[in-house]
Amino acid sequence: MPLFDTEFLKKLEYLSLVSRRMFRGSLLAQRRTMQTGGGIEFADHREYSHGDDFRHLDWNVFARHGQLLLKRFQEEEDLQVYLLLDCSRSMAFGSPPKFDLARQIVAALAYIALADLDRVAVIAFADDIIADFPMTRGKDRILSLLKFLEGLEVQGEATDLGRVVKAFTQRPQRRGLAVIVSDLFDPQGYERGFDLLRYRNYELNAVQLHDRLEAEPSLLGELELVDIESDGVQKVTITENALKKYRTLFEDFQESLRKYGRKYGVGLTQTRCEVPFDELILKMMRASGAVG
Amino acid sequence: MSLASPLNLLWLAAIVPVVVFYILKIRLRRVPVSTILFWRQIYDEHQPRSIWQRMRHWLSLLAQVTLILLLVLALADPFFAWETRQLRRIVVIVDNSASMNATDVSPSRLAAAKDEALRVIRGMRFRDELAVVTAGGSPRVVCGFSSHGRTLSHAVDDVVSTDNPTRVTEAVELARRLLGERQDEHQREIVVLTDKAWGQAPQNSNLADQSLDRVTKSLPPNLNFAVPDPGLLVRHFGTNAGNVGITQFQTRRSLIDPLGYEILAEVTNASDEPVECRLEIDLNADVVDVVPLKLTPGQRWSQSFEKTSADGGHLTAKLDRADTLATDNRAWAVLPKREMIPVTLVSEGNLFLQKVFESNPLVALTRIDPPGRKPEAESRKPLSQNLSSPNAGITVLHHHVPEVLPSGVFLVIDPRESCDAWQLGEPIQNPIVHQQDKDSPLLGHVRLDNVVMPEARQVKFVSDDGVKVLARSLAGDPLLTTIERPGQKVLLLTVNLDEGDLPLRTAFPILMMNALNWCTENRGELRESLPTGAITEIDVAALSRDRSLTLRVGIAGQAPDSESQATEGRSLSLIAPDGRRSALPMPSERLSLGPFDQCGVWRVVANEGDTTLMELACNLADRNESDVRVPKSEVIAPTSALSASLLGNRPVSMWLIAFAWLLFAVEWWAYQRRVIE
Repeated sequence: MPLFDTEFLKKLEYLSLVSRRMFRGSLLAQRRTMQTGGGIEFADHREYSHGDDFRHLDWNVFARHGQLLLKRFQEEEDLQVYLLLDCSRSMAFGSPPKFDLARQIVAALAYIALADLDRVAVIAFADDIIADFPMTRGKDRILSLLKFLEGLEVQGEATDLGRVVKAFTQRPQRRGLAVIVSDLFDPQGYERGFDLLRYRNYELNAVQLHDRLEAEPSLLGELELVDIESDGVQKVTITENALKKYRTLFEDFQESLRKYGRKYGVGLTQTRCEVPFDELILKMMRASGAVG
Repeated sequence: MSLASPLNLLWLAAIVPVVVFYILKIRLRRVPVSTILFWRQIYDEHQPRSIWQRMRHWLSLLAQVTLILLLVLALADPFFAWETRQLRRIVVIVDNSASMNATDVSPSRLAAAKDEALRVIRGMRFRDELAVVTAGGSPRVVCGFSSHGRTLSHAVDDVVSTDNPTRVTEAVELARRLLGERQDEHQREIVVLTDKAWGQAPQNSNLADQSLDRVTKSLPPNLNFAVPDPGLLVRHFGTNAGNVGITQFQTRRSLIDPLGYEILAEVTNASDEPVECRLEIDLNADVVDVVPLKLTPGQRWSQSFEKTSADGGHLTAKLDRADTLATDNRAWAVLPKREMIPVTLVSEGNLFLQKVFESNPLVALTRIDPPGRKPEAESRKPLSQNLSSPNAGITVLHHHVPEVLPSGVFLVIDPRESCDAWQLGEPIQNPIVHQQDKDSPLLGHVRLDNVVMPEARQVKFVSDDGVKVLARSLAGDPLLTTIERPGQKVLLLTVNLDEGDLPLRTAFPILMMNALNWCTENRGELRESLPTGAITEIDVAALSRDRSLTLRVGIAGQAPDSESQATEGRSLSLIAPDGRRSALPMPSERLSLGPFDQCGVWRVVANEGDTTLMELACNLADRNESDVRVPKSEVIAPTSALSASLLGNRPVSMWLIAFAWLLFAVEWWAYQRRVIE
């Protein structure tokens, strides 16, 4: 059964329709970036420094308080959406595989963005960037994008988000919305990559996928656990007690993600891979207030 | 400690593969996971540090090896030396006689005895063997030697109450034979659970209990059980409660009065108090007599009653006193019904002869005039035809005799003609009876030697087969003769009744009465009430003939007619008073019935049509059983002589298996709960 069939495309169209209210804009793009610049909508103030344009000084404040504050405006430009898709081998785990859902989510988000006349790029990664769908615009590009996604396979070694983000941010490109779709099982920690994206002023969003058996494994006894990403082996005697600890650790991991999101304003969606992608997208829209 | 099955130790070889597999370890199952990040966090932080954690695998191996050791050792069936030294063979004798039905011990003495027997069974040690014997009636081994407690318990539960007399002495002898002649006598034990005192010999039984006397005499005065001869333990059940019972109840038809019958009743007061009660005797629920009784302690009252009735049926004696033993408050007897005897008198007229039959109320007399004598052949033919009719019954031929005597029963008096059985000779003048068969029932209470007989007839028998002369004259001429041939019975009296004083003598009606009894074979006159536990025999052929009496008077030696053939061909059953039905073996000439274990009226029935062929009354009729008193010195507390062993009456192997099971359960629980972590 193909990953992106006609039914899938219908769902994409439906999602793009229900999400249209979300992306209102006055210029070419219908989505405003969080970049400050030469727009007309006031964003905030900052201290005047030498060389700043006098035209942007807030004279009313100066008249009241005697302080030179520079008005900042939200720059209005078409949105650059970077969809970072985890193609590590851990994404092949699950029933259905997390990788399938991840590609469907990426396709859906890309479709919505393209439908809103935003620019979309897809970056497939594992331990490094392994494939790119270059920045594109226009709804007519969706089929090419889907074909690209269909051609992706899980590969590489252990996920290294820090390395991937570093390579990503070093590219000469405009900043924009970065959406990471991954299970975030990074031995080095997902925080390095997240932090780097934040530091580079990317608007970060993350969709974290996990399988039911990853949250609540049903393993017991003497086992040899094989990490399908790194092929690492761990001989363990899994007991009820160990299972209990595992669940606690997994829940702590999930909670740390949520804390990180709340702390740094990172949009975070955590879901199990058996959830249909359209439900998940709707859920994300509801969370962001895009749909009622 | 020794092993009963040391070869089973070979199973210890099973330890080798267990150890090998444990050391080699089974290859772990590989399970792919998306990440081992979290597992590493768990196990890298909890490296085994304690000795317990490091040794847990070896302890697990040790547990498995111990499990195998325990199971193999259990298979080898170890036992201690003291188990064989203390091996016991016990015979429990449960007295289920009539007196054990007494209710002075709740719910009954037998129930209490069975409870005690079950207690003894529960007290068995492993390897002990126990047998259960009942002592009500003929001793019976209800369960042979067994160590299986459940089987023994079921056997005790299946012991039912009977109305049989006590046969504890015979049961003890049987128990001794069961125990055999072993040298280690201290390991043999007989437990008697009864209500009879040992010193109380049965008053109306033939039991000679020398061994019991020996046991009794060896009893210390203050100890009522645990006598040394082979570990005989006696446990008595009952109190000193008194009882009044019917200890004899019989009836029989009168030998003189055709309608009369006699009843013998005996009531015994087996109590220490004077008793007033009433004895009621019923015949088929009609009151025959009621006798008020005042009995002193220990008094035995006995009386015979003479009553009259042609009807037969069930005679029932009832005491109106409720006491501890209800079995002997009722007694039964079967009174045979008097059947009418059809008698055909062929005579020119003899008043004495006619009246002697008419005076008998059981005789249905028909008088026929003899036919003319000429022409001889023609005139005698109708008589032969008439006599051969099936309803003829007994035919009395006076003077006239047919040329050929047909089948049937004939009383021929003073024949004046010859026939196929004899040739008539010259008259005998003044014959004097010289020889008289005193043993013949025909001549019971009859003396002919002092009777004046002016004339008789000389006869010469054609054949001596079946001819028996009961009375001869001085010259040797037969005066009274019986001829019994197949299908034919003839009593021939050659004396001239018209002359002489024989009809005037009392011997004549008695002789005629005897003749009628002889012709009808005098059956059904006495049916003795049997005591419980008795065995009796019945004549099946006679039973068949009795059934045919309704059509014809039975004839000894007669070829069975169609009905009797049918009766003999039927299968018979014996039905107890409570309705229990037991099939009887295919009847031969004689059939043994019994032992009768229940008071009441038993019936022999033909299965086809459920026709009652015979009834037998059965009563307790045992003074020993009616005396339910147990002397106070004999009423003892429950014995605790048979105690359990330290191992709880279980084999060592069972404990080994239990321990192995416990070990397995703990190991399983530890594995499931992962407490070894």
